[in-house]
Amino acid sequence: MITRFRATILGLMLAFGIAIPAGASDIAVPSGTPILTISGDIEKTNVGDTLVFDADTLAALGSVEIETSTIWTDGVDTFQGIPLKTLVDLVGADGGTLLASAINDYTVEVPVSDAVENGPILAYLLNGAPMSVRDKGPLWIIYPYDQNADYRSEVTYSRSIWQLDRIEVVR
Amino acid sequence: MPANTPLKAKPGRAFLALAGLVVIAAIAFLTLNVQREIRQLGSAQSDNVQWSLAQAEVEYLEYTRQLEIAPTNLVTLRRRFDVFYSRVNTLTTASVFAGLRADPEAQDKLEQISGFLDQTVPVIDANDDVVLARLDDLRAMAAEIRPTVRLLAKSGLDVFARAADQQRALVARTMTQLAFALACLIGALFLGVMYLNRLNAQVAGRERAQSQIATRMNTVISTSLDAMIVSDAEGRIIEFNPAAEAIFGHHAEDVRGKDIAKIIVPDHLRDAHYAGMERMRRSGERRVVGKGRVQLEGKRANGDTFPVELALQSAKTDDGEIFIAYLRDISKRVANEHALVEARDKALAGEKLKTDFLATMSHEIRTPLNGLLGNMNLLRDTRLSKEQDRYLGYMESSGRLLMSHISDVLDITRYDAGKLDTRREAVNISALLEDIVDNQSATAADNETSLEWGWDGPPMHWIVSDHDRLQHVMMNLIGNAVKFTRRGKVSITASVHTEPDQSLLTLQIADTGEGIEDKLVGQIFDDFLIGNTKRNREVGGTGLGLGIAKRFVQALGGKIEVESALNEGSTFTVKLPVTAAEPPAEDTTPPALLQATRTMRVLIVEDNEVNRVVARTMLEADGHIVLEAHDGREGADLAAVEAFDLIFMDINMPVMDGRTAARHIRSAGGVSANVPIIALTANAMASEQADLLQDGMNDVLTKPLSRDALRQVLADYQSAQPTNIWPVVDADHTAETRLALGEVAFAKLTSQFSHEVEDLLQWLGSDDAHDYLDVASRSHKVAGSAAVFGATALREALKVIETAAKTGDHATLRREINTLAPIWSATKHDLL
Repeated sequence: MITRFRATILGLMLAFGIAIPAGASDIAVPSGTPILTISGDIEKTNVGDTLVFDADTLAALGSVEIETSTIWTDGVDTFQGIPLKTLVDLVGADGGTLLASAINDYTVEVPVSDAVENGPILAYLLNGAPMSVRDKGPLWIIYPYDQNADYRSEVTYSRSIWQLDRIEVVR
Repeated sequence: MPANTPLKAKPGRAFLALAGLVVIAAIAFLTLNVQREIRQLGSAQSDNVQWSLAQAEVEYLEYTRQLEIAPTNLVTLRRRFDVFYSRVNTLTTASVFAGLRADPEAQDKLEQISGFLDQTVPVIDANDDVVLARLDDLRAMAAEIRPTVRLLAKSGLDVFARAADQQRALVARTMTQLAFALACLIGALFLGVMYLNRLNAQVAGRERAQSQIATRMNTVISTSLDAMIVSDAEGRIIEFNPAAEAIFGHHAEDVRGKDIAKIIVPDHLRDAHYAGMERMRRSGERRVVGKGRVQLEGKRANGDTFPVELALQSAKTDDGEIFIAYLRDISKRVANEHALVEARDKALAGEKLKTDFLATMSHEIRTPLNGLLGNMNLLRDTRLSKEQDRYLGYMESSGRLLMSHISDVLDITRYDAGKLDTRREAVNISALLEDIVDNQSATAADNETSLEWGWDGPPMHWIVSDHDRLQHVMMNLIGNAVKFTRRGKVSITASVHTEPDQSLLTLQIADTGEGIEDKLVGQIFDDFLIGNTKRNREVGGTGLGLGIAKRFVQALGGKIEVESALNEGSTFTVKLPVTAAEPPAEDTTPPALLQATRTMRVLIVEDNEVNRVVARTMLEADGHIVLEAHDGREGADLAAVEAFDLIFMDINMPVMDGRTAARHIRSAGGVSANVPIIALTANAMASEQADLLQDGMNDVLTKPLSRDALRQVLADYQSAQPTNIWPVVDADHTAETRLALGEVAFAKLTSQFSHEVEDLLQWLGSDDAHDYLDVASRSHKVAGSAAVFGATALREALKVIETAAKTGDHATLRREINTLAPIWSATKHDLL
């Protein structure tokens, strides 16, 4: 609940254009366990050529919630996570493809054009709780399937990669 | 084009429309179906399922491979296990795998694998040392579940292959349905096209017919002899055909769009025209439209007005109501009609003038003739020589002949003026014929002709008819037959054909005389026709006899016919509708003495001096006392003060006529109020005689006066005491009223009544103009009071006044008002 509350506050701050020191300038080198590594053609880095996030630095980007059902779960769930658009904007990717890979090295291609307002998020909370690997954690790309019928397609389902741990931006 | 085609087309059109809608709905439905199926295929809730199953096996294999690798990397091992765990977890919970889980075999496998995971989790989640110590256990458990994982992948394949098959079949079926629906739609479209084609042909045919009709109509309109003008509802001219141009003198192109009222309606009718149009617009009431032909006036371009015959019709068009006027210039016809009416009026006036002239002349001739005959009658009483006696005889017969001619002419003029009345009385036809035959037998004997009469079949002696007219006819026919037959035979046959309610009397007069020329047979009943033979000239005559006979027979409702052959004889047949009459009771009184046995005081009221002198001389010769009055007023005044035994009263007199005078005498209560009054008249018409008796006359004597007739009347009335009571007041009734009211009330009421009557008399006698309705109502009111007091005469007179006032009969009104005063004085005398 606290996480969710914090995320809501953050979302509000973002919505009102209030400056967030960490998001506004550089992303701090993660102090906790890294959960996401972005590489490739990116404008921002913190560890070598890559931009690495732990749970806190990722959450600091500002989270949103999506309530939707999925074909892999039973019933409607609440997913909380970082809009893909926020991430793409952060790394200055304005075109090309994201190669999203899971911890089992399974990789899908997500076009940068998928990163839109009210589009997909990188979910890290399922019904308010962090997702373990057994629960398709730590990150899961979730599209608002219930909200937009266009997302209920095979292509989108295939891009909804779970157990995500790295993204490579390819122009 | 039959008018019912659109009606017939309607069900077909509706059916097609309905079928089309059904097919389109079906297609829409099926299309949605297909779309859904395709989307289901597209949204492919299954596609990555097979991949997921395969991936599950791969991930299982990754996990087992990691178990074999030495030295054991626990982080990687755990991750491999977690990934596999996550995959299996997805398979057991995700909605997308519900189909798979529905398969019992797959469900069984999944449960076994879940069991394996649950077994492994406590081991692998333990601390590193424990995991390393129990690697063999982990390997054994993994090896044990291996076939299950393998079979799950396979069974999943089967399940999803089946589902895919089903889906494909579904799609195929929907596609088939869609194809069928499309075929139906195409069929419907084809039918629609056919139908539209047919409609198109019909419309084309109709248009052709319409254009032909229009052409024909245009020809009809342009060649019509009657003007045809079409206007819109506002009266603006739309059409103006050539005939209209010719009649009204306008060019069609000049007047089109203009107000019809300003073009063809005469100035003095324009307001009426606008009022009519306005009324029609407001209330829809139509006085001319659709009411057939109306005669009105039209105006030509040069301003002349002329009579037109107009028929107006209206029709509804898309541009609103239009009016079609057919106008015909009837100036010529109207002029002709006027000329005809004028000619007819002139002819009628001429005819009337002639009749009036004849009637007047005859009347005027008769009056001096009466004087001549009367004086001859008197002359006979003087001492005459033999020669004088013979000459007097000639004069008398000439006078009588002249009188009969004048009577004939008068009869003809009366009949032609529709004034010839007939009486209905019991007539003994046998006696009538017997008399005539007796009368003519001497002449027949002179001509050496036998004369006989008789009934053919059962006789009907007594009939209802007019004795004098019938006698005149038979006398004429039998007289003619006798006159024109020498050494021959004249036979008269009467027969009757009896019907239940009406009998037909046939009188046939057959002679063996010289007969009538063929060319004259048809004209024999015309006036003034005289045969051209020597015999005709011998017997002479006015040529009016048969004309009068024919008129009399017609006046009696019968027919007269003639058949004749020259030198063989003629047969005249008279057919009369008759009814049988009861023979009148035998008159048992002894025949009246021909001469009065006592001296009587007689008043003669007569304006003609000769007649007066003749009557006076005749009466005085028989020893009676005679007083004279020169008009009705004088007569009435005299009768009021002098006692007479008998009054002779002429009818047509100046100052006061005989009828009024008689009423005065009767009602004034004078000395001679109840004396018998004998009317003297030359016009002895039945209806008139009845009127005279109603006026209080006792008898009618026809002029010219003969000594015998006078003597008969005097004898008849010498014994008559003043019998003819003219009750002014019904004494019984008055007594009853007096008894009922009591003496005081009666006196009061009679006084009131007296004032009432005197007021009325004063009002009626004044020179003020009187409203007839007032006269009627006031008379009615006073008549009611008069009835109460039994003032019979007053009441009757007032009733006559009331009726005359209501019917506007001015003459009667005037006369009756004059009689009121004497009646009232008599009434007052008796009542008070």
